[in-house]
Amino acid sequence: MDGAKVTPGRTAGLYVGAAVLRLAIFTLLPGLPDLLTGRVEISTPVTSFKRLQEGLFLYNHNVSPYDGGVYHQAPLFLPLFSLLPSFASLPIFTYLLYIAVDLLSASALWKIADSGEAGSSALFTSSRREKRWSGFVIAAVFLFNPFTVATCIGRSTSVFTTCAILHAIAKAVAGAPLGAMVALSFASYLSMYPLLLLPPLVLLCYDRQRPERATKSSLQFAGICASIVAGVVAILFQMSYFITGSWEFLPSTYGVQLTLSDLAPNVGLWWYFFIEMFDSFRSFFLAVFWLHLSSYVGGLTVRIRRQPLVVMTLLLGIFAIFKPYPSISDTSLFLALVPLYRHVFPLMRYTFVSAAVIMYASFLGPAFYYLWIYAGSGNANFFYAITLVWGLGKSLLVCDLMFAVLRDEWEVERPEMAGKEIRQI
Amino acid sequence: MRQFLSFLWLSLLSISVFSSSAAADSDYHEQLNLRPLPFSGLLASFNFRSNTTVSEFEKGNFRFFPRSLGQILQHAGTRELHLRFSLGRWDAETWGASPWDGAREGGTGVELWAWLEADTDKEADHKWLTLTNALSGLFCASLNFIDGTRTTRPVMSFQPEGDHSTVTNMHLLYGVLPHEVVCTENLTPFLKLLPCKGKAGIATLLDGHKLFDASWQSMAIDIRPICPPGGECVLQIEQTIDMVLDIDRSKRPRGNPIPRPPPGHELPCDASKPYHSHDTCFPVDHAANQEWSLSQIFGKPMKGTCPLTDPAVPPVCLQVPDSRSVFVSGGVREKKNPNHISRCFDIPPSTELEMVLPAPDDVTAQSTVPTDIVTPKSPLLYAERSFTGHGQERGGVQTILRNPSPDTAVDFIYMESLPWFMRIYLHTMEARVAGHSANKSSLIQQVYYRPAVDRARATQLEVRMRVPPASTVFLTYDFEKSILRYTEYPPDANRGFDVAAAVITVLNKGQIQGEGESTTKSGGGGGDGGTTKGGRFAAYTLRTTTLLCSLPTPDFSMPYNVIIFTSTAIALAFGGLFNILVRRFVAADEGPEGGLAMVVGRLKGRLLGLLKGVKGR
Repeated sequence: MDGAKVTPGRTAGLYVGAAVLRLAIFTLLPGLPDLLTGRVEISTPVTSFKRLQEGLFLYNHNVSPYDGGVYHQAPLFLPLFSLLPSFASLPIFTYLLYIAVDLLSASALWKIADSGEAGSSALFTSSRREKRWSGFVIAAVFLFNPFTVATCIGRSTSVFTTCAILHAIAKAVAGAPLGAMVALSFASYLSMYPLLLLPPLVLLCYDRQRPERATKSSLQFAGICASIVAGVVAILFQMSYFITGSWEFLPSTYGVQLTLSDLAPNVGLWWYFFIEMFDSFRSFFLAVFWLHLSSYVGGLTVRIRRQPLVVMTLLLGIFAIFKPYPSISDTSLFLALVPLYRHVFPLMRYTFVSAAVIMYASFLGPAFYYLWIYAGSGNANFFYAITLVWGLGKSLLVCDLMFAVLRDEWEVERPEMAGKEIRQI
Repeated sequence: MRQFLSFLWLSLLSISVFSSSAAADSDYHEQLNLRPLPFSGLLASFNFRSNTTVSEFEKGNFRFFPRSLGQILQHAGTRELHLRFSLGRWDAETWGASPWDGAREGGTGVELWAWLEADTDKEADHKWLTLTNALSGLFCASLNFIDGTRTTRPVMSFQPEGDHSTVTNMHLLYGVLPHEVVCTENLTPFLKLLPCKGKAGIATLLDGHKLFDASWQSMAIDIRPICPPGGECVLQIEQTIDMVLDIDRSKRPRGNPIPRPPPGHELPCDASKPYHSHDTCFPVDHAANQEWSLSQIFGKPMKGTCPLTDPAVPPVCLQVPDSRSVFVSGGVREKKNPNHISRCFDIPPSTELEMVLPAPDDVTAQSTVPTDIVTPKSPLLYAERSFTGHGQERGGVQTILRNPSPDTAVDFIYMESLPWFMRIYLHTMEARVAGHSANKSSLIQQVYYRPAVDRARATQLEVRMRVPPASTVFLTYDFEKSILRYTEYPPDANRGFDVAAAVITVLNKGQIQGEGESTTKSGGGGGDGGTTKGGRFAAYTLRTTTLLCSLPTPDFSMPYNVIIFTSTAIALAFGGLFNILVRRFVAADEGPEGGLAMVVGRLKGRLLGLLKGVKGR
């Protein structure tokens, strides 16, 4: 195992290196955090740090932040950030919090990688599982991914969701269903869309139960898990109610995601579609888009039943493309999980194309946005076109990864077909 | 005397037989104040005022009160109403304090605020809707577009001017339409409200071509109940038109309708320059000391007086120093006021008034400091507001507030009502004194903020501030521009969106003693221009200019294309994924043949079968 080679010194080195890199950017380039906070690729209406500060300001001055159109984030952020020393006077504490959250995410990712779940789950063992990267490499890929770093520097609150999702997976892999469900509840509470990860996560927990206290009936197990999530989310809602004093946070946080009332540009496909949509069809297409987003959950969970972690990875990739307010933070989460499938990389067919398209879009996106908003020499179609390319590139990557995983499964059934040409019927 | 005269007038005209007391209660007067301003400006303030007792009003006896407006007020439960139609900018740096201490001024566009009698907020909203829609029809203005997103309920900035001691459940609503272009179609209904309908008296001077050609104009209607101590409450309607005319511009169309440069010998030159000679000229932009006449400025002379007006109030007053000579048409009596800077004219009915102000005698003294006009009073506060930042994503608003007074601080309330698509970040709001960054906390004393709700409510920001003596304060905050649905943009989307003027209400410190003199000064020497008795809430009101905020725009020609492209991208992902998901893998040479080969094979089989059938026959 590669993991054995990793000494505590190397671990500490990785974490310290990542932390120092972020701290150095925060302190040496003081203009950069605010610049990145303003970028539409990083900050969406539901994750923006500037909006969080506004919500915090209103909250601390006894104005309900939800009685307005600016703050759309979870109420529990308000007491959390109020406890920190004021950002205006001592920003270092906020920086340290964000760095700590990134490191926590990396440690969860490390645990997931070291468990080997990606290569051999309870019901399936890949023939190629020996070829894999260690937790060190995977954590390093996550921590030094420019998308992750930019999200951290931009102080988008989606890092908290990322951290909660990764911890939910890590707990599930470690055979702690309760912890996994609690972590997923937090993620759902913060961003709502992680709730769709519940079916594969339940399956993952079910597969990885500790034998000594395993529940035999899968239905019973699913029922327990679902009720835990419902219970925790209900408790979180109740706490939010006590903090804000009313239920108006519900339409303002989750309602905005459901109805897309704020049409700020982002890297997703929804904003321009709903700017240009005819008013009479708006609600119909909102329903269609949400149905589309949730349609993948059932199909993937059933078809790739034997590898729930794959389902979650693919779903995270799909969410990063099709959710209402995606940012590069969601892409960074997907790209953090993709290296777990090092063993199926040789089976992927379009790695070069999808990598090239993603790179192309990530360089041209900011340029086209600049042309539209600042230079005035381009129009909205420029940025829209690049978000289309970005979405297509990522969907190609997701499809390709799924193809590779399925082929890997098939080759276990028919070992003689390895390396042969195949077709699908 | 006044009662008697009114009685006499009305009997003579035999309109109706009134009891003398009723005639006195529903008195009417009108007055025009002319005040030359520096740089060849001329401020003309028209004021028309009439009263009717509240009891008569409630019975439907409107007398001089316009019936159309009175019925609207009764129907909408309006206790007090203020309506403004304005155009242009009052240039306080040059012209000094605005007339009426800014109390009759509005921001560019249309402004309306009213106190409605209602038990609940919802009822008030309903009555407000009735009121705006009715006024919209009456004044031919788009007041019906004052909906929830343009209505606010100010808490600090406005106080009722009238007496409302008997009413407790009043709701103040404030609506503003900065985009509205005020024009002739608003003037005509305005004049129709007057008892003389613009056919006689000072209103004959009001002509759309001149009024809307002015550098600045503001039409105001104020309706308020007034209860004099010991007397019966009256409902007062005051109609005011203030305009600043450019004398040069007004005179031009007479003989030379097409603007072209004047010939060399007519150029006014600044003779004080050292290089001034017969062939070099430093042109003086604004010839302050030029001659003008009433008919040049307004296009026609004034036609008599309105027979209904109170003869005790002189209809025309002119504010120039006593030293300057003024020629008026025969029969008009000039009355100099004791303050030596104003004079009024008593005009016999059915006499045309023409007034000529010749250029002063000392033509050689063409200095920049005017001696032949009354030096304008400096305002209590200067304010200008502008956008900062660039791009269509975010920006900032900066208001520069300057207190010219060397020894007194100015307390005021700064109010903004911003459209919802400007998402302001209140945590970025800061006030700083130019020059040094100290005592930041003492500048902003109180903030009332009601954030906007998308597509439902406007942002309301009221800041109580204090500007120290002889200093300049910068009030800044950031905002973000949101992108709208394509149907929410106006047809000229790239022009931008108008942002209403900020209303600055300077608070009155010594409410009782300072009030009386300030109103008379601003109202002009002649009339008894006092608007309210007792302590006035605002010592001075001023408004900034409106701003033009450009939002990012989508491509309006593309709805179908965008729907198709996005749907295609989604279909590609969905199809690609489920295609892999639902199909089985087989080796390339296994399983049933698929694709083209299978189709060709089947076709071949069919053809062979057919051929066999043909042969067999």
